[in-house]
Amino acid sequence: MPKAPEIEPDWEQVRKRNFVERLKHEKGGLAVIDDLPAMVAAGYEAVPEEDMVRLQWYGLYHDKPKLGYFMMRVKVPGGRLTPRGLRTIGEIAQRFGRGHGELTTRQNIQLHWLEMARLPEVLATLAAAGLTTAGACGDNVRNVTGCPVAGLDRDELFDCRELLREAAEFFIRHHEYSDLPRKHKITISACAHQCNAPEMHCIALLGTLCDGRPGFGVKVGGGLSTWPRLADDLGVFVPADEALGVLRAILDVWREDRRYRLSRARARLKFMVDDLGPRRFRERVEARLGRPLADGAAPAAPAGEVDHAGVHAQRQPGLAYAGFPVYLGLMNGEQMLRLADLAAEISGGEGGHGGDTGEGVEIRVTRRQNFILANLPEGRVPEVVRRVAAIGFPLAAGNLRRLAIACTGNPFCNFTVAETKGRLRQIVDHLESAFGEQAAALGELRLNLDGCPHACAHHWIGDIGLQGTTLRERGAAGERLQGYDLFLRGGLARGAAIGRPVLRRVPGDVVHLAIERLCRAWLEDRQPGEPIQQFFTRHSDEQLIDIAGVAAEVLTR
Amino acid sequence: MIHDSESPSTPGTQRRDLLDEFEAGQLANDFDAATPQEVLEWASARWHSRLAICTSFQAEGMAIFDMAWRIDPTVRLFTVDTGRLPQETYEIMEQVRERYGATIEISFPDAGKLERMTTHFGPNLFRRSVEARLLCCSVRKVEPVRGALDALDAWVTGLRREQWASRANIRKIEIDHDHGGLAKINPLADWTAEEVWDYNRAHDVPVHPLYARGYTSIGCTPCTRPTGEGEDPRAGRWWWEKNAPKECGIHCPLETGGLEHELEAMLHGEGAGR
Repeated sequence: MPKAPEIEPDWEQVRKRNFVERLKHEKGGLAVIDDLPAMVAAGYEAVPEEDMVRLQWYGLYHDKPKLGYFMMRVKVPGGRLTPRGLRTIGEIAQRFGRGHGELTTRQNIQLHWLEMARLPEVLATLAAAGLTTAGACGDNVRNVTGCPVAGLDRDELFDCRELLREAAEFFIRHHEYSDLPRKHKITISACAHQCNAPEMHCIALLGTLCDGRPGFGVKVGGGLSTWPRLADDLGVFVPADEALGVLRAILDVWREDRRYRLSRARARLKFMVDDLGPRRFRERVEARLGRPLADGAAPAAPAGEVDHAGVHAQRQPGLAYAGFPVYLGLMNGEQMLRLADLAAEISGGEGGHGGDTGEGVEIRVTRRQNFILANLPEGRVPEVVRRVAAIGFPLAAGNLRRLAIACTGNPFCNFTVAETKGRLRQIVDHLESAFGEQAAALGELRLNLDGCPHACAHHWIGDIGLQGTTLRERGAAGERLQGYDLFLRGGLARGAAIGRPVLRRVPGDVVHLAIERLCRAWLEDRQPGEPIQQFFTRHSDEQLIDIAGVAAEVLTR
Repeated sequence: MIHDSESPSTPGTQRRDLLDEFEAGQLANDFDAATPQEVLEWASARWHSRLAICTSFQAEGMAIFDMAWRIDPTVRLFTVDTGRLPQETYEIMEQVRERYGATIEISFPDAGKLERMTTHFGPNLFRRSVEARLLCCSVRKVEPVRGALDALDAWVTGLRREQWASRANIRKIEIDHDHGGLAKINPLADWTAEEVWDYNRAHDVPVHPLYARGYTSIGCTPCTRPTGEGEDPRAGRWWWEKNAPKECGIHCPLETGGLEHELEAMLHGEGAGR
């Protein structure tokens, strides 16, 4: 059955079938900012619901149940924040957002509880600090992510921070990239460990050297959500100074093909790459560029996943960076302020981006919802570690807490059908007490928990991924009961694979037991050095269901 | 028709044929450009009588039933009688029974709950507050639908993408995580309203009489009304409400799970907006 229509539809056909395309045509998402003062004056109740959708273009989503409060996603390109930037976000959280804050898997910071009347002031405050929410949600180039120790790490191939910054700015400034078929995710890094998950991005630029010249391999067509797919290597080498042009050409090929605008269910680049294959997709990009790309290859996948946690000497002599775990990714406004104060104090001022001079402490948000303090004078590291612990982020919180991630979920997200961060806390706390001293043996176990199929917390590629669902059974009062599908065998790096929901609809109140048993079986029966992913791959579904020892649904087919 | 007499999937057995998330994603992609009939044919062949069409006899549901009936005249059709339906809805039910020789499975609210609710809050509680209206929706509609879904492995809805932003991303084949993980089939996902009406005219499908009287969305009598030319269609449902959840469009989004999320957030305090 053909998936994309053979004849490209015209705009009228697109708008007829696609509500969001119609909405964007009537008034672009970014244009809603011009109406914001009038919207505020008219009052929340009077605002057309279409404009509520357009607010996504400024990183704003209704919190559940869509009654006046908004979540706001602040873009943090490459995860890099100055003390001033973090303080600004912290102040907004404190003044307008009931102090709530969370770090996300795409290096953003999210606040909640914002009311529409406050938005003009909030957005202006962010802008004054050089921050933006433009394009954080909606059909935009979302936050451009990268390695959180870009420019610092001794293993890094070269420094591509400037390219990342330019790309982030370029795609916001040029409004044609704010009318993409749907959201679009770009990552850029020259991290030797490919810590930025290039496998699951729409476009990934992977730093590599060709005859000593810095440039990039390009992967395209990755993504998770309901149709997970690992990115393909485009088989090219792009010199660093041509990278922005190539990014732009890829996005042009993508946004100009109306076939992928008919149906938002297929409006992600991965569908086009899958339909065309990487070779034909490359030809389209070359045609758009008007020149061929040099042959090349993305660098080989690294052996394992790295998140740059802990204290490491930087490539700048005398400086170090320290990666701190943030349990559940929760960092409240007060913690942001205290962290910003500490960073500013160590820097001897608010500072801008330290850059190569190594001046100024930066806060870098990581994709495992943690943060790194960069440009610390080596002699002050012990003091910093002590003081950050006092703010609530002990460096030695343990691997489980460091690596476990969950999406926003309840009570804020309209999509979730189950507890997320709260449930993850339960599971991690249980594993810590069940394994006690032995918990270290679990190594770098990655738990990825999502409340719905959208996969913000990447359940497809965790060591153990969980996706919320509901049980067929009901509670005593007829209420819905939460359950989780458990995804096993997924992962990134050399073993990159999409996991499968091996255990389905495990009741929420026993899911921690299922995970404990799976981990215990791995620890007891693994072959020497066998990663958990391999252990799960070596066992059949039936064996794993048996090991988990909880009521889980078994499919009849 | 593809009915397999050896199928184990007969009502009353405990076996369930459910999709997993990965399979559902692949199927949704494969069927994204398929016609409603192709989707229905596939779903009908896979689930037989473990699949049913859920309808309130609006244009979409009627088109789907007509298509499915042509594929399999024994296809199941269920609806909920909330107890507050307009007489015209019962008229069209009779028409459907007659025209197609169909059995309509009708679910009713739990009598005990209904008694307690109306005794305590009065019969027209929905006018008192959004919470009271959601409670009424819950007892009269959501719970009976859930009950009906419990006995199924797949259900068919009339959701369409062009109706509202929150529906723009729906896939033709999905897993319904709001209702215990059965499959949810949305064969008309990419159809326009015009195409639905064209189909119904071309196949002489019975039309709910209230459309002719200016209704754009038909639900319970006290909670829906016709809208005039140029009037916001959302004025056709719960028009008296202030401070109701936004972004639901005119449609009661039970099929998208939205209504239940609102319910839980507002009645049980799970949401942020409290």
